[in-house]
This record gives sequence, C-alpha cells and structure tokens, in this order.
Amino acid sequence: MPTSGGLYKSLLAGKAIGCTAVQLFTSNPRQWNAATLKDTEIEAFQAAREQTGIPFAVAHDSYLINLAAPSAEVLERSQQAFRAELDRAEQLQLQWVVTHAGAHLNQGESEAMERLAESLRQILAATDAEGYRVGIALETTAGQGTGLGWRFEQLGQLLRDVGAHPRLGICLDTCHIFVAGYDLRDEAAYERTWAEFDQQIGLKNLKVIHANDAKKPLGSRVDRHEHIGKGEIGIEAFARLAADPRLQHAPIVIETPDAEIMHVVNLAKLKRLAAGEPLDMTIRVHFFGHYSDYFAGEPQSVTLPEGATVRDLADHLAKRDPRLTGLERSCRFAVDEEYANLDAILTEEATVAVLPPMSGG
Amino acid sequence: MAEGRMVTTRLDVAAMEAAVADVANGAICSFVGQVRRQSRGREVSYLEYNAYVPMAEKMLLRIAQQAEEQWGCQVAIQHRIGRIELGEASVAVAVGSPHRAEAFAACRWCIDTLKETVPIWKKEVCPDGSFWIEGEEALKADNS
Repeated sequence: MPTSGGLYKSLLAGKAIGCTAVQLFTSNPRQWNAATLKDTEIEAFQAAREQTGIPFAVAHDSYLINLAAPSAEVLERSQQAFRAELDRAEQLQLQWVVTHAGAHLNQGESEAMERLAESLRQILAATDAEGYRVGIALETTAGQGTGLGWRFEQLGQLLRDVGAHPRLGICLDTCHIFVAGYDLRDEAAYERTWAEFDQQIGLKNLKVIHANDAKKPLGSRVDRHEHIGKGEIGIEAFARLAADPRLQHAPIVIETPDAEIMHVVNLAKLKRLAAGEPLDMTIRVHFFGHYSDYFAGEPQSVTLPEGATVRDLADHLAKRDPRLTGLERSCRFAVDEEYANLDAILTEEATVAVLPPMSGG
Repeated sequence: MAEGRMVTTRLDVAAMEAAVADVANGAICSFVGQVRRQSRGREVSYLEYNAYVPMAEKMLLRIAQQAEEQWGCQVAIQHRIGRIELGEASVAVAVGSPHRAEAFAACRWCIDTLKETVPIWKKEVCPDGSFWIEGEEALKADNS
C-alpha cells in the first residue's frame, strides 16, 4: 500500500478498502540511503495499527539489495541495507521482511548461493542476539536474468544451508512461480505445483503469499503482474488458492497494477473467492430504438453473477426498470456485436446490445 | 471485393455502380431507398437514422460477401445515418454480374436481408412530434 505522507498511511489506505494484511516499503526501494525512522513516525504507525486493527503487516525490501552479490563492496552494502530494513521493520513491529534472493551476475551460481546463505546466517544470528521478532521471507522469483530463487529446490536448499530458523521462511509469488514454469491453471497443475513446493520447501515454511496474475506466459521468466483473473494464470487458480485450507496460515498480499483504483477490486475478488461466493461480472448494455431515449443514448453498466445468461440479463433489467419488462420477447440481443440467443452465457466485460425490431433501409 | 459501409454523408450511387462495373459484368442493378413524405398517414419532415454502427457495418459487409458468393456477382452496400431530408437516399445496393437474373436476385436479397438483420433504426420527425419506427410500431420519441 502507498506510504506517501507517512508509513502509517499504508495502514489507513489498507483499512479503507478492507485489508487484513498490508505490505509496504519502509524506505524508497530504488535508493540505497534510507533514513532511520523518527520516533514520531514509529508512534504514528503503532497508533494506526491499533486504530485499524490490521493484524498482519510486512515490509518489502529495497530492490537494490543483493545478499548474494559477487562484489565484496556491494555485498557489504547490501548486508548493511538489509540489516537496516530489519531494524525498521522490527521498530514498526512488522512480521516479515520480504526479500528477493539476490542475483549471481554470472559469477558462479553455487558461490552466490553460499554467500546468500552466509549473509542470512549472519543477519539472523545478529538480530537473534538482540531479540528481534521480525522474520525474513525469501520470495520466489521469476527467473529473470541471473536472479536466484526461482526454482523451489534452490530455495529448499537455501533453507537447509542456513539451517532451520523460526524467523526464516518463504514468500510465494504466484506470478513469479508461474512465469518461472510452475503451472497453476487447472486443478492437476495446481496440485502438482503445491506438491512440489511442499516436497522441496515444505508448506510449513510458507509465510506470505503474493497473489498476482501474470501478463506473460508460463515459463516466460518475465515478471509482469496482472489483475487477479485477468492474466495468463486465470481466475480458477485464484479461486483454489484463496479457499485452499492448506494455505490459510499464510496471509495474502496483492501487488497488482493501478493500486489506487484497482486494489479494492482485486481484493474484493479474492475475498469472494475465499468465501466460495460466485464472482460478479460487469456487462455493458447498449440500448437502441426508443429504449435509447431512457438512457440518453448512453450504454449502461450492469453487474451480474458470473455465468449469467442473456435471459438472466433481461430478467435483471426488468427488475431494475419496469420499462424494460419483456425485452426477451420484444427484442433481439447481440453479444460483442454478434446475435446471441437467450441461453448464451455472458462473460466479464461483454458488450450486450438490446435490439428492438429494426427499421433500416 | 464486397463493400458494406455505414456513412454519414450523401450516398454516391454512381460511384457504387462504378465500383461493381467490371467489364466481365453485363448487368448492373441498383436499389436506392429514399426518404418519402408520407408514412402511415403522417406527414414526415425528415428522418433521423440511428444504428449500432460497429455491428451494422460488420453485417453489411457480411451480406455483401454472402451475395457475391451465392450469385457470383460484385456487391456494394451503403447505408446512411443521421438526419436525412425528404428525397435523399438512405440506402443503396449496387450489384454487377455477367447476367441480369443474378443481378436482380442478389440486389433484392441484399436489401431484404438488410432490413431484417442490420441493426439500424429510423426516427420519423413530423410536425407533431418524433416517432421511433420499430417494425410495425411507431413509438413516440422523447425529444418530440
């Protein structure tokens, strides 16, 4: 959630749209230099946490941090910056800092994995000594460039190398794993992917879920987030995910585009899926002939449950406006500019035209 | 090449006929529909044509293509929308074919099919108000 005007604003914005989990950046994720938090900022955040009652809040670390960096200088800088991330998160009483596993930059993958494991061991030990509660959640990545952590077995190995630790876990990003080659689209694929996750990493190590659809196809290794159900992964997978009893311990965070206007839509969608409720879809309806006078020639937006037919639409319109009674008898219908019969099933964003007897010629 | 278009300007029937006047064609047959003064006993001042334009355009082209295939001819269809004055053309079909029987048949089929299936509606604007024409019905329009 956005933090402009103060970190606590992310909680207020989250509360406003009904979030029970919030993820934020505690500093500019594209800069190295992060100021330490002022007491007033920490107090404002805690007050907002109490006021909103949002139980779960996590940070995402800076994109510049590479805890596997081959260059000693960058590695040290990354370790310091990551420690500062943990410091801020601990002060704000966040549960996890989500971080990408770093990149090997073509300087040897196994050496990079060793450096990463060593970075994590050191940071965990140092913060253990100070009684920190905030954990580190390694995020599954998309496999872009030389990034580490896009194969489950690699993350599993990392967890074993660092050694089991209650403050170390995994954040699974649905978009990342999908473009990394883990399919989720139908039931069999979904089950295969989770079975592999459980085998390589262990479901108990799953601490956070990033629910994002993908703009790019399976295995493309290109990370572009899409709105829930609107991308290559599709709504079916998110329906399974949101209601999956094995995953209920891991809160879901969304990182979909156009946050200001679309987070509320994507969140509502996930909540309905989690509750096993049918999703609504939005249909545009164009009216012609004398019906167009009722709406000044403007298309109307209608919300119907997923799977509704043209006949359901006609019933809905009659209930909403008695002047529209009996359209199914008096008019023909077009869906996306083609004639459709009353049993045709409508889909999200369909354009329906109500066509009274014509008089062209 | 079949042509089917919705236009907002005066129809140029001569240009449509020229477009189907391949030298292989011995017959050019056109139908032109124009705005008449009298309708169902009412005096008409002018007509206002409305359409679901993207679908109408698609359907006009489809009708022209289907006729070309069925009768082995060349077809151009245009329908005008917006305000059309008395005596002006609202629709034109031009068919060119080697022989007249196919040209007549295709031309007639095109205009009949257009009237039944292309989403276009006319509003008759009369001295005593405006009326949407929907099949056999004339319904008083809001802005009258």
